[in-house]
Amino acid sequence: MKIYTGGGDRGKTSLFSGERIAKNHDRVEAYGDIDELCSILGAVTASLAGKHPEVEAEIHGIQSDLMKVGALLSTSPDAPAFAELEKIEENTIRTLESSMDRMDTDLPPLRGFILPGGDMSAAWAHIARTVCRRAERHVIGLVDSFGDPGDGGDYLKVLAYMNRLSDYLFVLARYCNHLSDQSDILWKP
Amino acid sequence: MNPEKIQVYGTELLGRKNLSEDTCELRFFFPAGFSFLPGQFVRFENHDLKRDYSITTAPDEKVIELCVRDTRTGNFSSVLASAEIGTRFRFSGPHGYFVYRPSTRPLVFVATGTGVAPFVSMTRSGISGYIFLHGVRHTPDLYYENLFRNGAHIYVPCVSRSADEAESDIFPGKVTDYVETLLEKQPYDFYLCGKREMIRDVTFLVDDHFPGSRVYTEVFY
Repeated sequence: MKIYTGGGDRGKTSLFSGERIAKNHDRVEAYGDIDELCSILGAVTASLAGKHPEVEAEIHGIQSDLMKVGALLSTSPDAPAFAELEKIEENTIRTLESSMDRMDTDLPPLRGFILPGGDMSAAWAHIARTVCRRAERHVIGLVDSFGDPGDGGDYLKVLAYMNRLSDYLFVLARYCNHLSDQSDILWKP
Repeated sequence: MNPEKIQVYGTELLGRKNLSEDTCELRFFFPAGFSFLPGQFVRFENHDLKRDYSITTAPDEKVIELCVRDTRTGNFSSVLASAEIGTRFRFSGPHGYFVYRPSTRPLVFVATGTGVAPFVSMTRSGISGYIFLHGVRHTPDLYYENLFRNGAHIYVPCVSRSADEAESDIFPGKVTDYVETLLEKQPYDFYLCGKREMIRDVTFLVDDHFPGSRVYTEVFY
């Protein structure tokens, strides 16, 4: 099936729940950031070049979670289609925490602020971290716009996931440098 | 619509019924373990050729029927349309998200040509009370006319090139002309399937004249 229709040529797009909205709507900003984050994680795995398949597999799992986040953000919570979507659950967040704890055991203690950089995979992971924080800001805007917290219940879990993922990406960046035998670049003010 | 449900199946051509000079309905064996929602499609494969077809039967009919137009260009549709009864094929599925979603707004189904296929399945599955606009070039291409006359609240055949004088309820023009000039201006749930340009143009009309509506689309060609 072709995916292009030209229906977006005048600046509007359709949500998964069928509404037509402007492409600069807060909701589109939010899932656009998720799309960008998912793409940058692809750059992280590409730069690992097959040398660390366990890390690539973990990142693929996170990309899969981000696809679910994107679907949730592109669907109105009060639409029937929303109930069919897979949600972000507590154990997804716990999995990120376990991964961080595992990577931390191989890393030297942080002795100050570090500069983003080092191996290319680490550099991409830092970029992913900043895009994750931007996505988080846009999701906050969406949750605030609902007014009644009940409508945004699943979105609150998305927020918690984005917050944890940002921390994970910081640890991942350090871990990528560790895997390529590079030290953190300490900031010397 | 869980992607993990998508699998590859074997099937066999059981029968053929002509719908018009170049379009037929093909009936296939319903393999064990297969299930789908009305509006979804399957991807048929034959060596290097692949093509997507929306299922026209209802899930509980336990047979797969497809609406196939032979473009006579030697592509997969030509192969399928001319296959002998008993020929075996492979397909993957179910695919797609073009399914009925319950709503408080009135339904408008808009199809061009073979784009009627998902709406045939939806109607056979019990969905009724919708406005149906079927856009074709010539009246012989109004496939499944009786099904839609019985299932739709309002059935509007839109014939752009020629019209039988005896068919007094034919709208002489394109579906987009009808939507723009005759469809009452209020919020609807629009389901659009068929030609890419029709989907684009009706979507623009929805943006301009039908605020508060929902739009779901499936591009066929």
